[in-house]
Amino acid sequence: MGKIVSIHSFRGGTGKSNTTANLAAQAALAGKRVGVVDTDIQSPGIHVLFGLDEENMGKTLNDFLHNKCTIEETAFSVGENALTAEGRKKLEGKDLWLIPSSIQAREISQVLKEGIDFNRMNEGLQNAISDLKLDYLFIDTHPGLNEETLLSIAISDILIIIMRPDDQDIQGTAVTVDVASSLDVPSLFLLVNKALPKLDRADLKERFEANFKAPVAGIMPLTFDVAENASKDLFSLLEPDHEWSKELRKVAEAILSVQ
Amino acid sequence: MDQETTAQLKKLDWFNELPDEMLDALAQKVHKRNLSRDEYLFHKGEKGDSLFIINSGWVKVFTEDSQGSEVVLNQVGSGEIIGEMALLDNEPRSAGVVALTETNVLELKRDDFMDILKQQPDLALSVIRNFSSRMRYNTIYIEKVTEMSKRVAKGDYSFIGETQPVQAGDKRPSAQDTIGQLLSEFFTMVQGVKEREEELKKQVEKLTFQIDEEKRKKEFEEITGTEFYANLKAQAKALRAKRTDNK
Repeated sequence: MGKIVSIHSFRGGTGKSNTTANLAAQAALAGKRVGVVDTDIQSPGIHVLFGLDEENMGKTLNDFLHNKCTIEETAFSVGENALTAEGRKKLEGKDLWLIPSSIQAREISQVLKEGIDFNRMNEGLQNAISDLKLDYLFIDTHPGLNEETLLSIAISDILIIIMRPDDQDIQGTAVTVDVASSLDVPSLFLLVNKALPKLDRADLKERFEANFKAPVAGIMPLTFDVAENASKDLFSLLEPDHEWSKELRKVAEAILSVQ
Repeated sequence: MDQETTAQLKKLDWFNELPDEMLDALAQKVHKRNLSRDEYLFHKGEKGDSLFIINSGWVKVFTEDSQGSEVVLNQVGSGEIIGEMALLDNEPRSAGVVALTETNVLELKRDDFMDILKQQPDLALSVIRNFSSRMRYNTIYIEKVTEMSKRVAKGDYSFIGETQPVQAGDKRPSAQDTIGQLLSEFFTMVQGVKEREEELKKQVEKLTFQIDEEKRKKEFEEITGTEFYANLKAQAKALRAKRTDNK
């Protein structure tokens, strides 16, 4: 049975979609069958990193939620398409699919107005795993602790909480960790992103682990290189020797080593 | 001129392949000069029309930087030649030379040197060989410094441990030590850059943060106190049990 990996952050701007896309790409590169589903229905964004835009976007998660198609029909094969950027090209022939969220304003507002049928969403995620024979299904969620996010936490086997090393993110992460524990999430990892280079990382790791009772899988630096590239290509594939990419691979390894 | 002068000339790379009678002739042409301490042999920019062989004592070769401070290029002692470049290229002296101790030098005038050169093609060859070996030596070190500069630019200082700068005691003709001097200064500079960089890296900051435990508890209760949450928790539990069974 494939594992559900939810990527969560308490606030926006933590680099969540970028990190999710890169983690999924690393898992696919390691030979795993990987799906990525964008459950951030309100503000979808991860599709850009996989080279999908309004022009080439087919069926979406919204169509599935409205019973217009199966989940398999929404899956976009990254390994067969979207190899238009230097980094993404390395995914050629890999088993990686993206289930995008609609970027049509009308469809977004429809879901927001009608709400999400959680059973249908859950069915979709389980079907994605079985239909595509996935080893891992990564869920990119909307930031915060709203109902859809709680669902993705509740059904996840592995939860990654991404945070910046600042007071608001730390406070929000504390609450999220408590919720994850209450929902019996089997594996929880913290990922610190956008850390200033001068930050004492060993100290940060030790204190975060003591406070949150969860391992810090990676501390990724704030770098202009990543910011500049983020929405164009998968940075860890484009610049594999960059410090950010090396740290990201540590997180990917931590995910893949969960039994 | 005495036997001592002939023997002195024979020790020099430039002249050691000359036949004895030629050395004797050369010895006839050189003039001995005594310098007391701090006495100038010549100044930078002066017309150069002779070379000097240090017979005994020490002199300092120096120039000035753009701020007018003295930059010592070299210290030269017994058995070494200075001023030979001006002799060959007719340019003004490229550096000044002053005695550091009581010094005795042998001076050979350009005209006399040229006369001997005409009679003795082997001497010309020897001089060319000497200059060519210096150029080769300089080229090797320039290449070395270029390569090391590239490594420093990439933050790689590993070569400091594996290569040692040329020491003053290396058996090399005197003026060539200016390149050794450059290399030595280069190593000092790289060492300084490396140390400053390491010092900067050490200046890491510890993050200060505090979690408001009361707020944390309150928010947790708000989220988990709803009917939605209770249902979700029950469903999640059932789902996990089901998935475990499927394994």
